[in-house]
Amino acid sequence: MSKTVINVDHLTIQFNLANEKVDNLKEYTIKLVKHQLMFQEFLALQDVSFQVKKGEAWGLVGPNGCGKSTLLKAVSGILQPYKGTVKVDGKIAPLIELGAGFDADLTARENIYLNGLVLGHSKKFMEEHFDEIVEFAELQDFLDSPLKNFSSGMKARLGFAVATVVNPDILIVDEVLEVGDMRFRRRCNERMQQMLSGGTTLLYVSHNIDSVKALCDKALWLDHGKMRMIGDAQEVCDAYKEDQDELTRKRKAERRARLREQGTKYDYLVVGAGLFGAVFAREMTKAGNRCLVIDKRSHIGGNVYTEDVDGIQVHRYGAHIFHTSDEKVWKYVNRYADFNHYINSPVAVYKDELYNLPFNMNTFSRLWGLKKPQEVKDRIAEQIAQLDITEPKNLEEQALSLVGPDVYEKLVKGYTEKQWGRDCKELPAFIIRRLPLRFTYDNNYFNDRFQGIPMGGYTKLVEKILENIDVMTDTDFFVYRKEHPDMFDRVMYTGMIDEYFDFCYGHLEYRSVRFETERVEESNYQGNAVVNYTEREIPYTRVIEHKHFEPEAEQENPKDFSIISREYSAEWQPGMEPYYPVNDEKNNALYERYRELADKEDNVIFGGRLGAYRYYDMDKVIAAALELAQNERLKFGRKKRKK
Amino acid sequence: MNLLKYRIKTLFKYKDLIVELVVRDLKLKYRRSFLGYAWTILQPLFLMLVLTIVFTNLLGKGIENYPVYLLSGRLMYDFFKVSTTSAMKSVTGNASLLRKVYVPKYIFTLSKVTSCMVDTVLSFGALFIVMVITGAKFYPTLLLIPVVVIQIYIFCCGLGFFLAQLNVFFRDMEHIYGALTTALFYLTPIIYTIDRLPLKIQLVIKAFNPLYYYVGQFRDIVYYGNLPGPRIFWGGWLIAFLMLTIGVWAFQRSKDRFILYI
Repeated sequence: MSKTVINVDHLTIQFNLANEKVDNLKEYTIKLVKHQLMFQEFLALQDVSFQVKKGEAWGLVGPNGCGKSTLLKAVSGILQPYKGTVKVDGKIAPLIELGAGFDADLTARENIYLNGLVLGHSKKFMEEHFDEIVEFAELQDFLDSPLKNFSSGMKARLGFAVATVVNPDILIVDEVLEVGDMRFRRRCNERMQQMLSGGTTLLYVSHNIDSVKALCDKALWLDHGKMRMIGDAQEVCDAYKEDQDELTRKRKAERRARLREQGTKYDYLVVGAGLFGAVFAREMTKAGNRCLVIDKRSHIGGNVYTEDVDGIQVHRYGAHIFHTSDEKVWKYVNRYADFNHYINSPVAVYKDELYNLPFNMNTFSRLWGLKKPQEVKDRIAEQIAQLDITEPKNLEEQALSLVGPDVYEKLVKGYTEKQWGRDCKELPAFIIRRLPLRFTYDNNYFNDRFQGIPMGGYTKLVEKILENIDVMTDTDFFVYRKEHPDMFDRVMYTGMIDEYFDFCYGHLEYRSVRFETERVEESNYQGNAVVNYTEREIPYTRVIEHKHFEPEAEQENPKDFSIISREYSAEWQPGMEPYYPVNDEKNNALYERYRELADKEDNVIFGGRLGAYRYYDMDKVIAAALELAQNERLKFGRKKRKK
Repeated sequence: MNLLKYRIKTLFKYKDLIVELVVRDLKLKYRRSFLGYAWTILQPLFLMLVLTIVFTNLLGKGIENYPVYLLSGRLMYDFFKVSTTSAMKSVTGNASLLRKVYVPKYIFTLSKVTSCMVDTVLSFGALFIVMVITGAKFYPTLLLIPVVVIQIYIFCCGLGFFLAQLNVFFRDMEHIYGALTTALFYLTPIIYTIDRLPLKIQLVIKAFNPLYYYVGQFRDIVYYGNLPGPRIFWGGWLIAFLMLTIGVWAFQRSKDRFILYI
């Protein structure tokens, strides 16, 4: 076992509070008479004990004023213990403040000597290492100018170079590397790493938790001068960070509660707690606005809402798989949730046959027993040529001319007819423009760079986005507006745009879906999250088995039951849950009329799938919300935080 | 005994620092001034000139070669005043450094007194110039100057330590001390001869004014060309070491608490 180089044993350090400093005769006499002298005592450290072994790297973490620097000073010998002992074995290089003892009127050359001597080196030693120091500090050209002409970065460089010229047994670093440019910081880190690998013991203080994690293997967390936690650097840092976040949350929550109590007006009333509303509210809050998010449903999340049913996240309003090629959006959502690596690869059932989707080499080889992509291409081209369709008159002919009869009959026809509730021959050709065929053995449904499901469900993601923002569920906008017309400045409306205007031009149409969710006493019902049923005779279009979206949750906590949802197409009627806007000519024209009304509405902005009457994937919703928030900020400026 | 050894070892370790601090003080004192080190000599010369003009007819009657008489006393007094005043501020003035690096704190006090001593020795040049101009005699007793300088140096170190630690806890000291030193100037026979004073006061000064011993000795060897009398000679040494003991003791006792007050 390596030997202990720093032994701190029940260390207590006492301060006289600075503001109570008595340093003139009058006060002194008064206090003496009143017996108040030395009564304002403050324990900067209380009963701190730990041992550092040779070669270890220790991080000290804690909020400002918790005693980190005091501890370093006690170890350096600057402060004497009030109680307890500090034993140090070896030569210490303290980097507590770079260039402590620099004299601004002396030149760099003179200061190098003076500083080195202050650190306890001999003149001879300094002469021997002078060139080395100058080289590391890169100040050859400024050696003979007085230090007062130096920038703080240059001074830091000089200080670091002098302090680390000797290979110390113990290196004490106190946030000194925060100044200086990037390159210098990197070189300092290199030097420190080099020392560490050479067996130097490190005591490190930084507010940058990541750099503590990177440099240190052990950590000590101080809180109000007391030891809060000691041990592995990762664990301590994580616990500390968690604690700090919790504190921040609490403080913000208190502030929110206070403002609510005072009945202060909101800057934004966000109608709808779905992805769009949540992201918008988050962004506006970040810019210093106070937002209230309301939703008429009894939960947040809008249509991405997932309900926890005995540990399974059930997608209540249909399967949602997050996929995007927009790196900005991907990074954004990953700030609020951890995503798993779920890849959507649905399968289609036709009679007793099973095919991979999307249409790819797996599908075709199952269909025809062919292996080579060229054979498949030839087969499809041959089938299409035999049909002799020049101008497709309806959807059936259109689909046939795109994929040929085999794929169409088994995988397209029944499914499409169920979706639209009509025969393919009666449907217009334009509904299907193209049917992508993939000539690789790749079952990944999406072509995006990023894909996954937020672990723990979408509700958790939205909850996190809405953290510290006032939210009221079961609240209807029109009722709220009537009752509290003076509670908000601006409105972000993500509900149905036609409903906002009381359907004055009539109803916009939607395609709707109906779900039959059922608990089955089987641990694995269908072996895949999404299974499409392509026969006309089976009434539902797909069956979703929710647990397969989060295989890691199942692995951690296997369940002997499962939740499935059968998905039916439904003809939409006013009052039903609106899902997909029908962006045909008639509806788009109607929307434009509503849009004109919306533009005239002061202090109300419309957005989201229902507000803009547009079908969005989730990533597009987020991108749109971010953009809108950005525009709002540009238009109205960053709001000064009201105290 | 071990502790003493350890102390001497650290003092030795930091000797280069003391030298560097002394050099810094001297370098910075006249850096960027046009006449530079010449001021070390010019300043006491000017002062002497002024005092001579003002006091020759007032107090200097009957004193042979008044300028030398005055300057020899004044140089000792200046060393005493400047060195102890700057020593007093040596700990508080280096607060920012002491809060960050471990350095034995007495180093700063010691280096201040030392640099003042070097400064004083240099300003002896002024004295010699005045002696030459006024045609004063150069006695062989001048060789004893180092003995007196060492005495007053030890005394000032002791007093410096005492004041430095006191000033940490009690900042009024700086102002009080300014008044005290001014009083001491007039209570020491610098611009006058002691026999001008009433007998009672003479006795008080001889008994309680340490400066009397050093000014007296210095003047004996420079102005009168006498060996100092045993009373002021041994008395000077005794007071010097007594003050050093008191100063070191007081400083040691409180040095660990400095950091809490600076």
